[in-house]
Amino acid sequence: MSADSIPLPALAELRALARLQGVEPTDTDLEGVLGFLATVLPALRALEEQTGRDIPPAGLYLPDPEAT
Amino acid sequence: MIAVLAAEIRRGDLSPREAVQDALDRIERDDGAYNSVLSVRGEEALAEADALGAPVGMLHGVPIGVKDVIDVAGTRTTAASKVLADNVATADATVVARLRAAGAVIVGKLNTHEFAWGASTTSEAFGPARNPWDTERICGGSSGGSGAAVAAGLLPGALGTDTAGSVRIPAAFCGVTGVRPTIGRVPNRGVIPVSWTYDTVGPLARTAEDCALLLDVISGPEPGDASTTSVAAEPCLAGLGQGVEGLRIGVVSHLMGEVPLDPGVAGAVEEALAELGRLGARVERVDATFLRRAEVVQQLVMLPEAAEAHLPWLRTRLADYGADVRARLLAGLLLPSSAPITGQRARRALAEEARPLFERFDLLAAPEMPILAPRIGEDTVDVNGHELPYRLALIPYNSPWSCLGVPTASVPCGFVDGLPVGLALTGRRLGEATVLRAAHAYQRVTDWHERCPPAPA
Repeated sequence: MSADSIPLPALAELRALARLQGVEPTDTDLEGVLGFLATVLPALRALEEQTGRDIPPAGLYLPDPEAT
Repeated sequence: MIAVLAAEIRRGDLSPREAVQDALDRIERDDGAYNSVLSVRGEEALAEADALGAPVGMLHGVPIGVKDVIDVAGTRTTAASKVLADNVATADATVVARLRAAGAVIVGKLNTHEFAWGASTTSEAFGPARNPWDTERICGGSSGGSGAAVAAGLLPGALGTDTAGSVRIPAAFCGVTGVRPTIGRVPNRGVIPVSWTYDTVGPLARTAEDCALLLDVISGPEPGDASTTSVAAEPCLAGLGQGVEGLRIGVVSHLMGEVPLDPGVAGAVEEALAELGRLGARVERVDATFLRRAEVVQQLVMLPEAAEAHLPWLRTRLADYGADVRARLLAGLLLPSSAPITGQRARRALAEEARPLFERFDLLAAPEMPILAPRIGEDTVDVNGHELPYRLALIPYNSPWSCLGVPTASVPCGFVDGLPVGLALTGRRLGEATVLRAAHAYQRVTDWHERCPPAPA
């Protein structure tokens, strides 16, 4: 599947995911999220393809002390 | 200016009370035009000034403001949000404690984009901060109140916070100097987070010298605070006068025209680079197009981190957020769980790729912002013929340095149509001393940082 043909979730699916986390957004809120996902999901997929999976993630609090 | 004011107080030409009263008077007289201060600590600040003993620190009696996401005990921390409108801090943030230990007096809490997440400082709940150079325009953000208060001369210095440009952008738009320090150099305890791996507190003041002074006061490891690095950093003030002779400055090519850039801004930055060259720096262009990956990397990490930080309030106060911040938080909440991991993996790869750049050059240079301050409410900007959402226009100029965690200063370098322009100077990790040394050398031969906006009508 190419990065620009990623299917977006339905509003109901997004709402269910939000509920799982105890959050109750409105339809308008979720439409805004969909618009954002339409842009970011292809970028995420492209980045996954560009970045080697053998690279450990940077630190989850501070970046590596030796970096740059 | 802080250095001048502190010297006057040390000499006894001015008492701490007089210095604090002067700041309070300026706020009372002028801030109606700017809305830069959300909470004034009038009586408390005067009492604290009176209680100061003999001078013990570099900031003895100097009035300072802090962005309203930084806790000051007994004072509201609202984050310019309805969510925290009545939130009173019970303890000082570490940076506030350090300012006080150096003798500073905190006189006010400064306007911010809601929860420090946005670049315009136009809070729905507390109203927009206005740019002192043109009050119909934004002062940038999210530390917009800090930039406006310093530019307008209400305060000689302020603290802001920077996740994706929030110190640098208001510094550029308001014509003051601002520093985003290396991540981990300054403790974040007592500061409302946006993104754990990107947030840092930084100073805004008129000069590089004043920023160096503030930064030296607030820097350093804090035992038990995992937000600070244990690596000691070189102080900034001591070597400030060393000049730029022989410094190698790489000008990031793609940020000088390949990415949309206002031609007036480009001209001001080119002239500033030529000035640094005349001062003895070796200035040359460098291709660093790979840094554009930082634009998406930062979003993938910052959005979920912010959503996680806000989760308790998202569950109970969702409707109390402004529309723009609510939308970003929900996007972060609903991103795939792989996003922050992929983002942090790509971030490490980016840092590796950037390493030779920082070996070859002492500093990197670019425009801080590609545009002049937009009008309040203007969400789309025209950048040299390209219509862009304001937020997207600024990301290529700010995300790379946030993503790498390296220090960046915005230094006033000109005016276009009466509005300030900022030059971004970026150093190696914990290389603030070199960044500020170059900024100081530039400010010794230019006067952009000394210019004051017109008095409010």
